[in-house]
Amino acid sequence: MEMNEDRKFGLEKSHGDHLSNHSSGVSADWQFNTPAMSAAPPHPCTAASLVPPLTSSPFLSAPMAEAFVPGLWNHHATSVGGSNIQNTTSAINSIPIGRPVAMSSKGMLLSTPPLIFPPSLPHFPADSGFIERAARFSCLSGGGFMDVNLLRPSQSVAPARKASKVVMETQVQNSELSMTADKVVSLPAAYGSIDQSRMDTRRDRRSPHISNSESQETNFCEGGQDGNVDSSGNSSPSDLGANKRKRTIQDMEKDQVQRGPQSSSEATETKHKVEQNSSKHGGNNGKDNSEAAEEGYVHVRARRGQATNSHSLAERVRREKISERMKYLQELVPGCSKVTGKAVMLDEIINYVQSLQRQVEFLSMKLAAVNPQLDFSVERLLAKNLREFHGSPLSIAGFSQEMSYPRVYPSQQGLGHAGSSTMVNPSDAYRRTMNTQLPTTSGYKELSMQMHNPWNEEIVMQMDYDANHPPNAQEMNRKPDGFAI
Amino acid sequence: MDSKSSACSSPNPNPTLGPSKLMLAFRFLRALSLVRRTTPASSRTCRGRRIERAAYASMAYTAGASRAWSRAVLRRLHHRARRRAVAPRRLSTTAGNRAEALRRLVPGGGGMDYCTLLEETADYIKCLSMQVELMQGIVDSASSYGP
Repeated sequence: MEMNEDRKFGLEKSHGDHLSNHSSGVSADWQFNTPAMSAAPPHPCTAASLVPPLTSSPFLSAPMAEAFVPGLWNHHATSVGGSNIQNTTSAINSIPIGRPVAMSSKGMLLSTPPLIFPPSLPHFPADSGFIERAARFSCLSGGGFMDVNLLRPSQSVAPARKASKVVMETQVQNSELSMTADKVVSLPAAYGSIDQSRMDTRRDRRSPHISNSESQETNFCEGGQDGNVDSSGNSSPSDLGANKRKRTIQDMEKDQVQRGPQSSSEATETKHKVEQNSSKHGGNNGKDNSEAAEEGYVHVRARRGQATNSHSLAERVRREKISERMKYLQELVPGCSKVTGKAVMLDEIINYVQSLQRQVEFLSMKLAAVNPQLDFSVERLLAKNLREFHGSPLSIAGFSQEMSYPRVYPSQQGLGHAGSSTMVNPSDAYRRTMNTQLPTTSGYKELSMQMHNPWNEEIVMQMDYDANHPPNAQEMNRKPDGFAI
Repeated sequence: MDSKSSACSSPNPNPTLGPSKLMLAFRFLRALSLVRRTTPASSRTCRGRRIERAAYASMAYTAGASRAWSRAVLRRLHHRARRRAVAPRRLSTTAGNRAEALRRLVPGGGGMDYCTLLEETADYIKCLSMQVELMQGIVDSASSYGP
């Protein structure tokens, strides 16, 4: 994915970790996916959008950014708009990257004539597509703008810039640019996702941000091009929370992939993604314009010639989401790539799940019948897995805790771990608990006792296993339901 | 997750194991050895069912609390343990409505919308296949280990 992005955008990896820093709260997966994309947001829109993120993001110095942005707008000349924008965005972007020197110089430059800017941005690629994308991203504010038109940056830079400028101005007035940071960051990821339509586990969670932000940006930019940017439209994204954006993930990706070719036609239309309350702005636009008003949760741009009332748009969003997930499932289930149609796919999925569950049952029966030699192989496997964990001393300690209980049975050749000696007390408590448990409780209970940990502990890899388990074990003895959240 | 960082930092002798697979393997193997120790060798079906429950439990724990299906699995396991009832096999009849059949199959599928159901199904399938892979590997290694 990173390669794709590099090839696509030819970005210089100037701000490798900028995006990750910038994405306030957005998953760190983006860092892996889009290190090259970090230089994405050189755009005036992003500059504006970056203002609010500055307040929310711990990395950005909000006062600096806010000071820059007004200066940026003052000097925002169309001729040097690009460079200005780049400067401002780079200035703002560079803040988290830890280039304070460059930042300050740029910041000073912001108040000076824009002519000074161009030389100060050596590291920003002059990729016009980048600028467009950055503009699009900056336009995004908050939540779930589903922009159909998120496309390759084949569109002219000028309209994007103009749009972004308009959007930025409106955005500056808005205080909810906190989402824009996510949008800016998500651009590279979104592009990466476009490359591969399939979602992986990472994108399951993270792509919503990316795809949403991308679409939002495109939407914004598209709307800005017509010059009909409404302040309400711009402020709409703020209402959308990160959670809601998640739900529109696959929709965004699908939209992006599907509607790429339509972007040019849609670009001419004046469409604004607005909230429900912005539906009144629909009258402002021509007949091609459509105001998408969902429940303030996802913003969809109606396609040309399609119904534009809120219900059909919501239905379309839902359908796209479902088809996105069906596509993902199609990749998961083997032998389903040729199958077309939701009904047949569903049948295949059901059969696959059934077969997997039957396999689990069959294998568990088989495991039950395996000879005691399995114990040695089990320990071998555990030892092998443990060796893989040797990088972390904590894990060793934690595992030694786990491993300690085989020693309860002297007949077994347990795995020797020197670390366990340091954990004598908890492990002893654990072993004692196990000893008392074994003769009395059912196998499953002990399983549940073993398995049980509060969710947060499980997720933390049971690093605190020794600390938490002994007290829990006692409770587990009395209270078989140790499932606690 | 710490497991991820630690797994990435150390050279992985088994390149196919991902960090979540590792956790799954660890949990399941631990539970497996426990079951083998605690249940009498005579009751193979009883032990088999316990192993199956252990498989689902380790799967659910590895998946974490963020997944609705894993929460449903653990809820069901814990409640069954309390009532000392064996978890009944989920009968899934491909009824006229396929969505209902899928809901019956996927744990916790009854109370979610279709969109979420598909998402949960995808994650469930991934974890199930990981579990099947793991168990198959154990069986293979056990059979190859012993004469």
